[in-house]
Amino acid sequence: MHLITALTIATFTTPEKIGVTPLATLWLLPLAASIAVVYKATKVKKVTAANFFKESVVLFVSIVVFMIITALVLFSLTWIVT
Amino acid sequence: MTASRSKDRNPATTATPLGVGPRDLAFLLVVGLSAWLIPGAGHLVLREKARAIIIFVAIALTFTIGLYIGSIGVVNPVEGKLAYAAQIMNSPMVTVLGRVTVNNHYSVFGKPNEMGQIYTSIAGLLNLLCIVNAVYMAHLQKAQPTGA
Repeated sequence: MHLITALTIATFTTPEKIGVTPLATLWLLPLAASIAVVYKATKVKKVTAANFFKESVVLFVSIVVFMIITALVLFSLTWIVT
Repeated sequence: MTASRSKDRNPATTATPLGVGPRDLAFLLVVGLSAWLIPGAGHLVLREKARAIIIFVAIALTFTIGLYIGSIGVVNPVEGKLAYAAQIMNSPMVTVLGRVTVNNHYSVFGKPNEMGQIYTSIAGLLNLLCIVNAVYMAHLQKAQPTGA
C-alpha cells in the first residue's frame, strides 16, 4: 500500500521526459479531445450518448484537421522563404 | 396586469442593480461557486447530471494529465503567474498545490513545464466556460420557472 502511494506521489513530483520531436505534437490529441468534449457538454441542448458522441467527434476532427492545414501552410511559407 | 403586480411584490424578483431578485442572485452565486469549487458541481445543482459527470471527468482528467506530464511544479504562483491565473479557475484547491510547490521548491523546466502548464491552464479555462454556462443556465431556469 505504501509502495503504491509512494509511486503515485513520485509520478506527480517528477516531470516526464518529452523531447522536442515531431512525435511530441501528438500530445495535442488528448487536449483537443478534452476541449471538444467540454465545449459540446455546454452546447448540446439535450445530452444523449449518440448525439453527444457524434457532436464531440465532429468538433475533435475539425480541430485536428484545421491544425494540420495550419501546419502545412506555415511549413509551405517557411519552405518558400528559406 | 395582476400577474405583473404579484410578480413585482415577489421578494425573489425585486429589482436589484443586476436586474434579478436577491434570492435569484444568491442562487446564481451558489451555482457559480459550486461550479468553481468542484468542476461540474454547478450543473449538478441544476440537476443536469449527465453534463456534470462529463464536465468533471474531462476537466479532472485534463488537469491530471498536465500534472503527470510536468509534475506539480507546473502550478507555480511565483514563476508562472499567468498560467497560475488560469490554473486557479480549476478549483480554489489549486492554491494548496501552489503553496506545496513553492514551499518544497518543486521546479520544472523546458518542454514538460510548457506542456504541463498548457494542459492545466486550458483545464482551468474550460472550467471557467462551464462556470459561465452553469450560471447562464441557472438564470434561464429562473427566467422560465414553468419550463414552458
